[in-house]
Amino acid sequence: MNEQDFAELAAGHALGSLSPEDTEAFETARRQHPEWEHHVTADAATAALLADAVVDVTPPPGVRAALLAQIAASASSGAQSAPEAALIEQPLPLRSDRRAPDSEQEHGKARRWGPRFWFALAASLALLVGVGWGSVFVSQQLNTPASVIALDQIEAADDAQSATAMLPDGGEVTAHWSESVGKAVLVSDGLPAIADDESFELWFVRGDAAISAGTFAAEDGSATVLLAGAMEPGDVIAVTVEPAGGSPTGQPTSDPIVAITTA
Amino acid sequence: MLVCVVIDGVYVPEEGGAPIDHAGELLLRVADGDQTAFAGLYDMLSPRAFGLILRVLVDRSQSEEVLQEVFLEVWQSAARFAPNKGQGRSWVLTIAHRRAVDRVRSAQASTDRDVRAGLRDIGVAYDGVAEEVELRIEGKRVSEALATLSDPQREAITLAYYGGYSQSEIAALVGAPLGTIKTRMRDGLSRLRGEMGVTT
Repeated sequence: MNEQDFAELAAGHALGSLSPEDTEAFETARRQHPEWEHHVTADAATAALLADAVVDVTPPPGVRAALLAQIAASASSGAQSAPEAALIEQPLPLRSDRRAPDSEQEHGKARRWGPRFWFALAASLALLVGVGWGSVFVSQQLNTPASVIALDQIEAADDAQSATAMLPDGGEVTAHWSESVGKAVLVSDGLPAIADDESFELWFVRGDAAISAGTFAAEDGSATVLLAGAMEPGDVIAVTVEPAGGSPTGQPTSDPIVAITTA
Repeated sequence: MLVCVVIDGVYVPEEGGAPIDHAGELLLRVADGDQTAFAGLYDMLSPRAFGLILRVLVDRSQSEEVLQEVFLEVWQSAARFAPNKGQGRSWVLTIAHRRAVDRVRSAQASTDRDVRAGLRDIGVAYDGVAEEVELRIEGKRVSEALATLSDPQREAITLAYYGGYSQSEIAALVGAPLGTIKTRMRDGLSRLRGEMGVTT
């Protein structure tokens, strides 16, 4: 990539309009060429001025009240006192009892400890520590859902791969994975609505066997989920609709609504 | 007597001197966990941020959620704000724009999005900007800068920033090759930078 190409990407980035592939190319080039960073800074500053052409709208007072309550709760490190509204960026719940044995890694633990804990811990960290890079990075990581961290890791890997399948009614499900990172993330849009007492369940279909990779809920049909357990080359990633919390038998009880071949 | 004009948290002393980045100063205090500073920053910038998010997302309840996410992120990552790299105001509004666009992308299948797609948006986007900016001095400056762009450049930038459309969506909407859209954005943004005197 030459500097002209990079300047083009930087402009698209500042306007928030890059495709995922271009975003990846942009971030890679940005790391490789710190001497081009001035394009990024200048374009971001210019784009932010565009916000001046928008009419101010006073948000409802409830938002302010909720935010102040959230930060107060997090600042006092009351891990259990954070109000429900604090859980905006919560990781999707994954049931630990459905987890493959080899998934007891950091992210697995992070999920089971729950977002309130991380939110409170991260906020306390932010209070305790100075402005050191490392600590900022850590606190940022703690506040980012594991699925998003994993997706970043995958996309930064040289062997990042993805495959997309369409749902019958127009939705789209994309699997992102990397062997070197050893993780797979499913990004779904337009998932069908399911009943309150149902969950989506993820599966690695390996030969004739289906291995559960956790359950998830979708928000307005969208979800970004880190698959629990290790993916193997050639696995098919499938999603089924199961009773809430996952199939009681440990095996799919319905046909997959989508299946993605990763071979 | 020192008379100050306040533009979005940047105090511009009328008797000259460098503008004071009030939002940036608040951010530095927020980074230290100062909740009062956070409330002050919210009061200062939330109407602009909310206006921007609403502009991109249209849906009001989703915009409220995103606004909340934005200020939570501000609270959590204020330590990353580097005063030498830009103003606090831009920093917050950049987060607001990114989060609004992320939400648009993740909700792409929603009906809202379908309603908004279509060529009529192009006209609305710019005309809307033109009438709104009458309201504020700094908005007028942006509108004047936008007016110096070629129509295709302005169209590409408007659809991307205010409409939340990706480059490939814009290419499809206006029927131009993707490469052309990319070039228009770069050239248009460079031009805007010059017109608005952005120095970094």
